Amino acid sequence: MPRIISNSSTSRREFLRDLGIGAAALPFVLNLPSLGFANQGARKKRLVIMFSPNGVIPSAFWPDEEGTKFTLKESLKPLEPFKNRTLILHGVCDKLRGDGDNHMRGMGCLLTGIELFPGNIQGGSDTPAGWARGLSIDQEIRNKLQRTASTRTRFGSLEFGVMVPDRADTWSRMVYAGPNKPLAPIDDPYQMFNKLYGRMKDQESLKSILDELKEDLGKVRSVVSAEDRQLLDEHATFVREMEQELKDQASRDNSHPVPEIEPGVRHANDQMPKLSKMQIDLMVGAFAADFARVATLQYTNSVGQARMKWVGVNESHHELSHHPDSNKKSQESLTKINRWYCEQLAYLARRLADTPEPGGGGSLLDNTTIVWTNELGKGNSHTLDDIPFVLVGNGLDFKMGRSLKFRKVPHNRLLLALANGMGHHIEKFGNPNLCGDGVLSLS
Amino acid sequence: MVALPMPNDNDNGNENEPTQMIGRPDGRGLDRSRVPTSLALAGWLALATAPFLTGASPGAGAGTGASDEVGRAGGRTGEQIYRQMCASCHGAAGEGTDDHYPRPLIGERPVASLAKLIARTMPEDDPGTCVGPDAQKVAAYIHGAFYSKAAQAKNPMRPARIELSRLTVRQYRNALSDLLARPQNAPRWDNRRGLNGQYARAGRRRRGGGDNADGFTRLDPEIRFHFGENSPIPAQNAVKEQSRHYVPLPALPVPANLFRSYSQEFRINWQGSLLAPDTGEYEFVVRTENAMRLWVNDNDKPLIDVSVKSGNDTEYRETIYLLGGRVYPIRLEVSKSKETTASIELLWKVPRRGLGLIPARNLSPSDAPEVYVVRTPFPPDDRSVGYERGTSISKAWDQATTDAAIEAADFIDGHLKDVAGITDGANDQDRQRRLREFCSQFAERAFRRPLSDEQRKLYIDRQLKDARDPRTAVKKVVLLVLKSPRFLYREIGTGVPDSYDVASRLSFGLWDSIPDRALADATASGRLAHHEQIADQARRMAGDLRARAKLREFLLQWLRVDQGAEIAKDPKVFPGFDEAVITDLRTSLELFLDDVISSPSADFRELLGARSLYLNGRLARFYGVDLPPDAPFRKVDRAPGNRSGILTHPYLMAGFAYTSSSSPIHRGVFLSRSVLGRPLRPPPVAVAPIAADLHPDLTTRQRVELQTKPETCQSCHRMINHLGFALEHYDAIGRYRDTEKNRPIDATGSYETRSGERVRFDGAAQLASFLAQSQETHNAFVQQVFHYLVKQPIRAFGRTELTDLRGAFADRGYNIRELMVEIMTSSALASRAGD
Repeated sequence: MPRIISNSSTSRREFLRDLGIGAAALPFVLNLPSLGFANQGARKKRLVIMFSPNGVIPSAFWPDEEGTKFTLKESLKPLEPFKNRTLILHGVCDKLRGDGDNHMRGMGCLLTGIELFPGNIQGGSDTPAGWARGLSIDQEIRNKLQRTASTRTRFGSLEFGVMVPDRADTWSRMVYAGPNKPLAPIDDPYQMFNKLYGRMKDQESLKSILDELKEDLGKVRSVVSAEDRQLLDEHATFVREMEQELKDQASRDNSHPVPEIEPGVRHANDQMPKLSKMQIDLMVGAFAADFARVATLQYTNSVGQARMKWVGVNESHHELSHHPDSNKKSQESLTKINRWYCEQLAYLARRLADTPEPGGGGSLLDNTTIVWTNELGKGNSHTLDDIPFVLVGNGLDFKMGRSLKFRKVPHNRLLLALANGMGHHIEKFGNPNLCGDGVLSLS
Repeated sequence: MVALPMPNDNDNGNENEPTQMIGRPDGRGLDRSRVPTSLALAGWLALATAPFLTGASPGAGAGTGASDEVGRAGGRTGEQIYRQMCASCHGAAGEGTDDHYPRPLIGERPVASLAKLIARTMPEDDPGTCVGPDAQKVAAYIHGAFYSKAAQAKNPMRPARIELSRLTVRQYRNALSDLLARPQNAPRWDNRRGLNGQYARAGRRRRGGGDNADGFTRLDPEIRFHFGENSPIPAQNAVKEQSRHYVPLPALPVPANLFRSYSQEFRINWQGSLLAPDTGEYEFVVRTENAMRLWVNDNDKPLIDVSVKSGNDTEYRETIYLLGGRVYPIRLEVSKSKETTASIELLWKVPRRGLGLIPARNLSPSDAPEVYVVRTPFPPDDRSVGYERGTSISKAWDQATTDAAIEAADFIDGHLKDVAGITDGANDQDRQRRLREFCSQFAERAFRRPLSDEQRKLYIDRQLKDARDPRTAVKKVVLLVLKSPRFLYREIGTGVPDSYDVASRLSFGLWDSIPDRALADATASGRLAHHEQIADQARRMAGDLRARAKLREFLLQWLRVDQGAEIAKDPKVFPGFDEAVITDLRTSLELFLDDVISSPSADFRELLGARSLYLNGRLARFYGVDLPPDAPFRKVDRAPGNRSGILTHPYLMAGFAYTSSSSPIHRGVFLSRSVLGRPLRPPPVAVAPIAADLHPDLTTRQRVELQTKPETCQSCHRMINHLGFALEHYDAIGRYRDTEKNRPIDATGSYETRSGERVRFDGAAQLASFLAQSQETHNAFVQQVFHYLVKQPIRAFGRTELTDLRGAFADRGYNIRELMVEIMTSSALASRAGD
């Protein structure tokens, strides 16, 4: 098999297309051992944090049972195929208080585990606030991985978004590179594609003009004086060297596939399902190419207003989430919304499970843990108790296939568990007072 | 260790040696800690070996076996002596040898002076063996055969020619900015200064502010406001005042003071454009306790975004690369919500300058379009001959051109509508036509000439045909064009330039960029053929901001301060002379230069002789003028201290000085090299200056005389010292003084002209009047301006080019702007084959 891949990636793809093998099958065909980079030795552990907003409907979300025998409720039904690789954590609470309303703290403290700065962003209640006072756990882990050659990757982490509003405020940012340093998720798949593969595309374009460049350089050489010719000869040498380097680079790049994403999808509410799929495909491709080992996937924002017409819900999400429990129709709509988000989680898990681990045994899901979370426990009460945490996959070696119920555990301890699961052995994260009994044991 | 430069008679048109002037030839002899105020060039004191002739042992050279028999009897000709004693190091025809003396033996000394020098110093390993009539003969021979200007004209050693050159980095960046500009809108830079401020109550944000009842619009020269607890909008303060008169009700859910602060919420939006004086990294600094955003050269993405006010930071910084002589859009928005107070300051750090408020003279309330500034870093250009030039290339440069081409192609891809007028909505055929049109125009503007049919096929047709989709096609065309030698090199071809070459010479000479539309139109329609038409275009272009910026950059380099002066003074001797003062002095110098070059007469002699000085309140107290401490800059005519233009400007005086004492040698070297155009090169031996405290009783002048007393030093220092001594009235921070160590200042000096005449002067004013009328000064200035603009050796433009230009300079009253026009006009038609 490797022999057919020695051509340029364009012709490789054309070749596969001619064979009738679609993009989804590419990873199988191209499951090559990667070149011997420093980071290809040990098992590659990965972490994905997926966010959806506005709380859940507890009765349609949390399993009644505790332990290995439990039933998935309506919101979590899409996880049925992965039930034995799923871990549901009830009773984990965001205990951070201080400036900002619950949406803001729910979002800003979710991954940072630390309070917000005072500031000028005024929520629906409480005092105004600014950004979080510390970095988020994904960045903490990323920094740790990037410090060591054996775990270092091209990007370290990738921040995906789907329909995130184009404004920077405490409700629209959950990832922080440091205090007052929120990171914007990339919610345009084409922008993400360029970030991941732009270099390769540029190199293809460059390669395609080299013949013309050499041709004209020769013509120019013939019309200058003999003394000046030397400079152009030197120039021609550089062009030849570049050509060789591009060839070498291309043969390296061919060791992993480029996902094909649908062209021309606009940034619009109704395109959300397509955008979601494109982003997930890009994420899986990036993992297969080992561009990063940490990723976040943020759907909309805290107080997000998606209108999920494609599941029959025409009202906007946040408005629905304020309706009282007695409003059965709204409860049903909200359950549908959360079920759709869960379907995205399941699609991601499916793609990871279907993609073999390059250079190793098993699938990407065997080495990846997805954490699905939310800034609120319940929309209409705005509680920060019982924040949804649903984990899928086996990257962090937690004991999966369980429904666990804790008694109001500060979520900082779960953040610690994620770090430790990723091989980053820390005892405190965020506000140290909320790390009391240390790492939450999940294995 | 500090080394001294030597006069170098090697005047082959490269008046400036490599900036590496210090210590050993490899530059490692410099100990910076001993060079307190190095201005581009380091300290100077020469322990000289021979200034130009290095030794050859008698008979060892290219001479004949018979030479020994000829012996030292008086019968030898100058040529025989040269062959016998000199040629092994200096080459058979004075061209130099790689091992001993790699430079050509050419220069300007008269025969007698040359003979004296030879007698004293040659051969290097055995001076004193070629003296008297021998020295006279060999000097006469050398002078007539190859050394003098006349000899070179008859028989040039290295025929000067216009060399094939790539764009310099500055030219590359500017050309790319102009290539990617939206053609329709050029920036206006009229006489209004400052930014347009729109003041409005928060929540009532309206561009233009016209229909906001409480708000108003005004022109603010600078952005430095401390509003305290009040609002700048009077109506809001009235509401606050009124609220004091009501007793707060106990049940009122909003406390009265909170209500008052709500009523004080406001927003100010300043908008306009910014003129960047220099090229490089600018740091923008905003100080405020409120929320704010700052946009610079990008109307969408803020450079600094603190719309979320978070924590206690009150100062925000961000850097951006800008090209000098260009105008950029700028916008600053501040909004006060519930913070108790409000204030805002907008500052910047111009490259190699200290932090300061952005002055009104760099701000305009007019809008300006965004300028594309390529971000790819480039390796620096060769400046070893005194000006940036592109006669060599490197792998790093080639890689940078690739990266920059990709960057530009991405930009065009993302701005097809703005740059090329191509919209998604257009039908396919229309789109295709526009694409082709854009690609052709892009290539022709980049190549500065129309495409031949063959080139059109290669650069346009083949790319558009092969590409999968139109956008990929445009990218390919852009990449290919920007990697093409036809873009990257200045002039391709030989012989007489055509009118497209002429247009490029004008635009690169005056702007370091491609022709603008007016020039391109004139070229295409055959209106750039005659001398007069070329002069008209050159004159029009010399009035542009970019030409002004280039002239300004030249002057700063001429004054050896283009890289900024590292000035640090002993705080015990000069208390209060801190970085703010140094930044102000720099501003004072730049205001003076701008004043001279933008005045109608633009008189070069004014640069040397002006008696005014620009001072603000902070500087005034150092330089003997009574101004309020916070007074802004003003021109003080007949300033105290017998001022004489750049010769005595405190920024230069402080730069050409040590931490606590003046340095006649630094000053003399500057006058020799820059002003008089005397080439100097570093000696092979480095010397540390004598520390002042070793001879506490000596004046600076006496100390310098003591140190440079040895005859070997004197060959250079006779010139250097006696020029520098004329400025001894100015201390290490450029203040005027009549005494040093209780002794009267001796500011007498002298200069031996190239024709051998000794001129004497006492003090800066007399020195200035000598320099202002000296042909040597005019020659030096003309030649340096020429090289800075044209970036080719002036000799390649004809034997009489320099003399002709000097004559034209004099005829036009030494008008510097006219000199630029003359230089460009006279060089534009020169043949590439040489004369």
